[in-house]
Amino acid sequence: MKTSLASRMAYRGDFFMSMIIMMVVELFGPLVTLLIYHNGASFPGWERHEVLLLQGTFLLSRGIAFPFFMGMVWNTIRRVQEGTYDLLLIKPRSILQMSIITAFDSEDLGKLIGGLLLFFYALKSVPALPLVNWGVFLLLFVFSLITMFAFGLFMTGLGIVWVGNYRIYEIFISTMDFGLYPRSIFTKVFQSIITWVIPISLLGSFPASALLGKEMTGVFGAMACSIGFLLLGLWFFHRMARNYTSAGG
Amino acid sequence: MGVNYLDNRAKIYASSDFGDEPFHSLLREETTVQAVSETPVHKKAKPVFRAVIQATYKENFAFRSNMAVSLIVQPIYFLVQYFIWRAVFQVHDTVSGFTFQTMLYYFAVSSLLGFLNWDDTDGTLQRLVQNGKFITFQLRPIHHLYYAFFQKVGHRILAFWIEMVPIIGFYLLFGIKPIPAMPLWAIISVALSFILAFLINHTIGTMAFWLVKTDGIRRAVLVFKDICSGIFVPLTLFPGGIQKVLFFLPFQFISYVPARVFMGSYELAGFTLSIPAIVGLQALMVLITYLLNRLVWFFGIKRFTGVGA
Repeated sequence: MKTSLASRMAYRGDFFMSMIIMMVVELFGPLVTLLIYHNGASFPGWERHEVLLLQGTFLLSRGIAFPFFMGMVWNTIRRVQEGTYDLLLIKPRSILQMSIITAFDSEDLGKLIGGLLLFFYALKSVPALPLVNWGVFLLLFVFSLITMFAFGLFMTGLGIVWVGNYRIYEIFISTMDFGLYPRSIFTKVFQSIITWVIPISLLGSFPASALLGKEMTGVFGAMACSIGFLLLGLWFFHRMARNYTSAGG
Repeated sequence: MGVNYLDNRAKIYASSDFGDEPFHSLLREETTVQAVSETPVHKKAKPVFRAVIQATYKENFAFRSNMAVSLIVQPIYFLVQYFIWRAVFQVHDTVSGFTFQTMLYYFAVSSLLGFLNWDDTDGTLQRLVQNGKFITFQLRPIHHLYYAFFQKVGHRILAFWIEMVPIIGFYLLFGIKPIPAMPLWAIISVALSFILAFLINHTIGTMAFWLVKTDGIRRAVLVFKDICSGIFVPLTLFPGGIQKVLFFLPFQFISYVPARVFMGSYELAGFTLSIPAIVGLQALMVLITYLLNRLVWFFGIKRFTGVGA
């Protein structure tokens, strides 16, 4: 982390601007929400501040994931393309650990700041919440991070075999967008998919619903699915790492 | 939502050979063209612009799977939009003058314009200045502005087949036919937006003469441009005061204006203009941006040392 920060500080002005922009970019989804409510429209069953809280939770989760472990995706794709992934393989640590610790992305701290700002802004409009809601929220938030990590494992695994394709990120980020809005806006089929197949509901909808004391259906299934998703991600990553050819691309 | 998408696309080209390799390819191509023109056969040399378009097309054809990722990503983005607006329109018939169908039509057209107008000219120019390779452009018989423009043309021709045509097919499944209400004006408007998007990006890239590393400023402008051009939501959804500011900025002419020309009516900040009038304004904005680009270039190029940083 220290080395990464030091090298980025060579272009200090650019670094701070990038970080601020990362923060602003995160507020795009909420901007759409604000505009919808500004025009007198709404998401059925959700107040404006409730949707913002959901999106704040989602961005908080992303804000932790991106600087601290999602960097492994870029790191792996770049190293595989250059053929320098071997340098990580010869280290006396697990390849997954090495991929994460050499990929700290300081600019992405802006995402975390953006997430925090939105979360606390939305929280201001919410009446005092019982402690139990906070407890359930924290538990589900941990599962949200587990799901993010599993996403990262799938992307990294793909990055090993799909040499040089940085757009892998886009596939997953676009999929995650389903988590930025209340689960109830989707059709029943999609609700099932984002709960039981790819637990995107855990990224924002379920933790925010728990905090607001809203009714939740299928949350235990989503938690189980999240664990399954993580295990599958770990298996996938190691399976793909075994296919690494050292050839670059 | 889409910013990550655009940002990532910029990163792809930052890390791929798009920035440097085509220049080598072109040098080879130009050398061949010159060699051919000097032979006694007097075979006519290929015009430079055609050579650039062809070289870029061929170069990127090798990376077509990168481009084809849009076929997964764009339908997902569209589905998210579909569900958002379906939920909103369940309790409202219209939002800011848009019905559910016209909203979907707007998003479909706006996303197609996004594919057509995309380029990484700013990033490529910044990398050339940063590593000093820009110096080769001081020796070439073509100005970087035109070179980069024809690169964009070649790149987007490929994108048309790989990204746009299949996605139009996807939209047809939703009953959205992106057929313009006034075809001739729509073609002119799309062409102008293509040039304007390029000129804005090139002008931002020129900042590299002052700042060397421009990732931050490029991202800032990209974000600002995306919000103000109406890629994510129609500009009429913004509060009245902001709409007035947006009306006088050039960004609406990149996406919002051509999308409205497709729809056959234009309105923003309380101004309702006829289609010929707004397309005329768009042409004027292209001219102003071109002059601004030349001015910034004039001062910027004096700062270039060729050393890199």
